[in-house]
Amino acid sequence: MRSRTPRGAKITMYLVLIFLASLWLFPIGLALYKSIQVGGWNNYNVVLNSDVFNYWQAIGNSFLMAGAASLVIVLVSSLAGFAFSKLRFRGRNLIYSLLLACLAVPVAAVVTPLFFSINTVGLRDSYLGVIIPLAAFNSLMMLLIMKNHFDTIPDEMIEAAALDGAGLFRTFSRILLPLSGPTLATVGTLSFVYSWNEFLLPNLLLRSAEKFPVTQAISLLEFDRMSLEQISQLYAGLILMTIPSVIVYLFAQRYLQAGVTAGAVKS
Amino acid sequence: MNRRIQPYLFVLPVTVLAGVLIYYSIGFAAWASLTDWNGLTTMNFIGLDNYVELYHDPLFWTALRNTFVFLVATITIQAGLGLLVAVIAKERLVGSNFFKAIFFLPIAMAPAIIATVFKYMLEANYGSINEVLRSMGIIDQSTVIQWLGADLGVWSIIAINVFQWMGFSMMIYYAALMSIPEELYEAAEIDGAGWWRRLLSISIPSLRGTTSVLIILGIVGALKTFDIVWLTTGGGPGGSTHFLSTLLYEERSNREAGYSSAIGMVILVLAFLLAMAQIRIANRDGGKS
Repeated sequence: MRSRTPRGAKITMYLVLIFLASLWLFPIGLALYKSIQVGGWNNYNVVLNSDVFNYWQAIGNSFLMAGAASLVIVLVSSLAGFAFSKLRFRGRNLIYSLLLACLAVPVAAVVTPLFFSINTVGLRDSYLGVIIPLAAFNSLMMLLIMKNHFDTIPDEMIEAAALDGAGLFRTFSRILLPLSGPTLATVGTLSFVYSWNEFLLPNLLLRSAEKFPVTQAISLLEFDRMSLEQISQLYAGLILMTIPSVIVYLFAQRYLQAGVTAGAVKS
Repeated sequence: MNRRIQPYLFVLPVTVLAGVLIYYSIGFAAWASLTDWNGLTTMNFIGLDNYVELYHDPLFWTALRNTFVFLVATITIQAGLGLLVAVIAKERLVGSNFFKAIFFLPIAMAPAIIATVFKYMLEANYGSINEVLRSMGIIDQSTVIQWLGADLGVWSIIAINVFQWMGFSMMIYYAALMSIPEELYEAAEIDGAGWWRRLLSISIPSLRGTTSVLIILGIVGALKTFDIVWLTTGGGPGGSTHFLSTLLYEERSNREAGYSSAIGMVILVLAFLLAMAQIRIANRDGGKS
């Protein structure tokens, strides 16, 4: 039996939803309108063929950095999540707590030493120099999600594998990973989206415009004293740069929602 | 290989990558905050001078106040709206998935892009918001509302953050609501409890732990907030809309590396203290987190 909701309440609920949804759709609709207000659809051509801004390069850079970071994150967080969940060793709880405490550390608080360190090892203005801190700061939330997931798999499966003489890595890769498809997809999607959206780290560490990811490349479309047409072109650029995120959203919404919830439910 | 050593090999990569990098950076910042470091060469120990200077810096207090106003406002508004939408979505009205998708979409989009869109919409002279208000006759043709100025800047930043993250609170509340056993509602209905009664005596009390988690995430999130401020007001005009994070970033680019590290330490201490306080309060109230 479903609890019934009064008819009047339903109408009020729809009105609330429609009001809020129009507030949320307003900026998106306005940006679309603005992108063609002066100069029409040609603005998109102008942006795609701009001299100062290479759209496909920015997309490629974001793809490279977010892709590499999320591969690293999936790898290190699933390995460690397995150990923290299923293996016994001295210092397990201490190491895990110390790692999770880093969840509260904002990148912004440590940009100064971070810049110095990356600069010292000669990785400033390189893709790798961005990928390393990107993976580092995003891996902890994913570790939490992976560990919580492995906690739901019964220990007996590990013990059975051990009796069969399987090594730890074999147990991990042959027994646990195949049971973890959706969680791995969740962790991968979430890492990719968070890394793709990062602005502070590339802004801190990259200097060459040809290495800029989309979040940083936006600035290339902004000038002092912009004409109305240039502003329309900027809007067109912003919309073009959002398209990959929307595509990811459409195809992986399920994983994104699962990840957001998994990261918050058990802290 | 030895079974005693093997577990450490599994945790080694993440420990080296994240643990060592982050703790090393914190240690480095703690030391640098006690020096007159310029980010490159000079690095003389000057004791607590940076913190004393910070105490006398009006910009620091402005940034602290803005960060705190933002923290309280975003947590409250996002939790309030998120709960409202989640409660409605739980009714499984026709089309509620569509609405949920709209509110969740901004989470997939980069704050940097959203901030830039809003910056041009909120621009005082030719920005769309003022244009729309003028054309609807809500404000005078000659009126120029400084949405990103000293008075309203922080509130515009709060609004942008709500646009981006409300869907997050909504989704968390929705998941929590769906995990409440349906039998509870059915039993209450048989006992004659109405819709509001069921909301107030079953749904809301069950969401305590969830609210507590959202508050902790909101505290950390507020201290992490950078893109939206940096790309809209940039902390201006005259430093009036600085957050701790943007003030730190600006001081760093002014070659005040020691001073900016001191701001970083303040952010870290605040993050830990506020998160700890919230966890204690939640535990005392008997809420689960």
